[in-house]
Amino acid sequence: MLSLNLRVLIAASIVLVSFFGIAGLTLDRAYYVTAEEALIDRLQGQIYTLIATTGLDDNNNILISDSAADVLYFMAGPDLYAQIALNNGKRLWHSQSLDSQPLSFAVGLERNEMRFSKLKTPNGKVFAALSYGVGWDDTHRQHVFIYSVAEDLQSFQKKISSYRNKLWGLLGGVGLVLLIVQGTIMRWGLAPLQSAADELGAIENGVQHRLHRKYPGELKALTDNLNALLDHQNEHLERYRHTLGDLAHSLKTPLAVLQGSVEKSISEGELTTIVQEQVERMNQITEYQLQRAAAAGQSPLIAPISVQLISEKILSSLKKVYADKNVQVQFQVTPGLEFHGDEGDFMEVVGNLLDNAFKWCTNKVNLHIKPIEKKDLVHEGIVILVEDDGPGIPAKLVQQVTQRGVRADEGIKGHGIGLSVVQDIVQIYGGTLKISTGTLGGAGISASLVTKR
Amino acid sequence: MRILVVEDEKPLLLQLVSRLEEEGYAVSSAADGEEGLYLGMEFAVDVAVIDLGLPNLSGIDLIKKLRGAGKDFPVLILTARSRWQDKVEGLEAGGDDYLVKPFHVEELLARLKALLRRSAGWSQAEIQCGPVALNTNTQQVTVDSKPLELTAYEYKILEYLMLHAGEVISKIDLTERIYDQDYDRDSNVIEVFIGRLRRKLDPDEKYNPIETLRGRGYRFALARSAPQESEG
Repeated sequence: MLSLNLRVLIAASIVLVSFFGIAGLTLDRAYYVTAEEALIDRLQGQIYTLIATTGLDDNNNILISDSAADVLYFMAGPDLYAQIALNNGKRLWHSQSLDSQPLSFAVGLERNEMRFSKLKTPNGKVFAALSYGVGWDDTHRQHVFIYSVAEDLQSFQKKISSYRNKLWGLLGGVGLVLLIVQGTIMRWGLAPLQSAADELGAIENGVQHRLHRKYPGELKALTDNLNALLDHQNEHLERYRHTLGDLAHSLKTPLAVLQGSVEKSISEGELTTIVQEQVERMNQITEYQLQRAAAAGQSPLIAPISVQLISEKILSSLKKVYADKNVQVQFQVTPGLEFHGDEGDFMEVVGNLLDNAFKWCTNKVNLHIKPIEKKDLVHEGIVILVEDDGPGIPAKLVQQVTQRGVRADEGIKGHGIGLSVVQDIVQIYGGTLKISTGTLGGAGISASLVTKR
Repeated sequence: MRILVVEDEKPLLLQLVSRLEEEGYAVSSAADGEEGLYLGMEFAVDVAVIDLGLPNLSGIDLIKKLRGAGKDFPVLILTARSRWQDKVEGLEAGGDDYLVKPFHVEELLARLKALLRRSAGWSQAEIQCGPVALNTNTQQVTVDSKPLELTAYEYKILEYLMLHAGEVISKIDLTERIYDQDYDRDSNVIEVFIGRLRRKLDPDEKYNPIETLRGRGYRFALARSAPQESEG
């Protein structure tokens, strides 16, 4: 893939070439037209001089005064090609130069008609010719005389050629300088991108943990988001480390109990009981720490999830598992509500709360999910409320059930970490967990998950 | 009842198979997804226990293929992954219940019994047809509340017939479901067991609980009277 620098350079080159090309062609054309007009003006002047120095006698013969020939010669020099002719082309007077270089001037002009043309001769020369139809203002004289002058275009063409060389040379030089300047400006302009790439390289190498340099406004959103992502990953990594440490630490106690039981001389039955208890304990610890480690927390670049869609999937799964109970579920959710957090975390909270509700209910469960009331405009998020018509959780056990591995009813087999996991996730999201008596008479648990936007 | 167990951890697989056979189930076992698919498609299965983390064909894909082929026997998912995303994925793929490892075998057995009952339309452990009551948990049978002594195979046949009360069950079906694959089967033995059951359940020939339909099989003829699972 082409680099940004090269892309801009190619684009700028195309634009500059096009611009200077068009400008050059325009200037060239303008100069040519102007030069040609000046030539025509000059030829016109020569015709008027010729007219001023001539007259007609009574027999319609052209009379040129003595001084006129000198004036003409002085004006035009040996390069002047001039003739006076009748309208049918019969020559009445011509300059000496026409003897060696005959030219076919225009004929059949109207009175006061001016005609400019370029005449090419058999020997390859090109002449600019101007012919003018003159009629004397005399009622007796009806003839139209054609006054014609011509000039060799060689010097004219030399001038044009010289101008073109200078023009294109200058434009080319300026264009090249502009390209170089453009390239330099681009490198300077893209320097922040290179700086960001250098910093990311340093992060990869472990030299630093986030982007430190200041960046222009256009990049700030990107670098701020990158930093937020890096911070989130670092937090997650930190949580993994802590969880691993907590796991190792927590396992030591049941391992110690097992070791002690093996070293003591106790009955097989007692040993079996102790082993079962401690294995159960270690299982709960492992399960809980795994869940803690897996909690993602809020991430800046996460796509929002549909609360209704995911909740319905969980409800459908639980209805399958608890089909025997035929639980009646009332599910209310604000239409279009989205959760701007991790899908796995949302499912853990809703799944664990609903699982407990389905397990404990008689046959009714309510699930209500709504946005957090915007008292504080900065914080947004959702509130998940789960109620059941079961026996509820006694007040003295409310604190216990939110601790790791302890359940209100020890008689039910299985893992007892559901609410502890919910509490951990709620804390990661900066929300709150409230346990009380619900509207159905059983437990009512409200968990809020805050997602700052 | 025939249970299909698909689990790649050999020690766990052997433990499960041994325990299920002790409970009186006929067990087909496989250690990978492809083999599990073959057994599930080729043999009559009443319930399956499928581990999600299988080699060759994953547990999720195995369940999807079985469901896609029209196999609607209940599936209990075994998984080491306890996250709700994984549970929902497994249940959406076609599983009916899940159990997270490690688990108590008693819990597995209880859930299997519940699935078997549920698939036959029974929501409670005790199933009752007329005067005959059978408890799938305790494996106790009573007639007019008087307990009845049955042999292991007599119980298996009666349980299957009562769970599918009103349905015609062929001799082949019965044979597939109560015998292990390696057992030397004799179709006449089924007739002998049916005969014994009739004598024990209905010595006075008052109820005629088991009908013989020539060329088709057997049917438990007494109407269901215990509460059933409602549809939907």
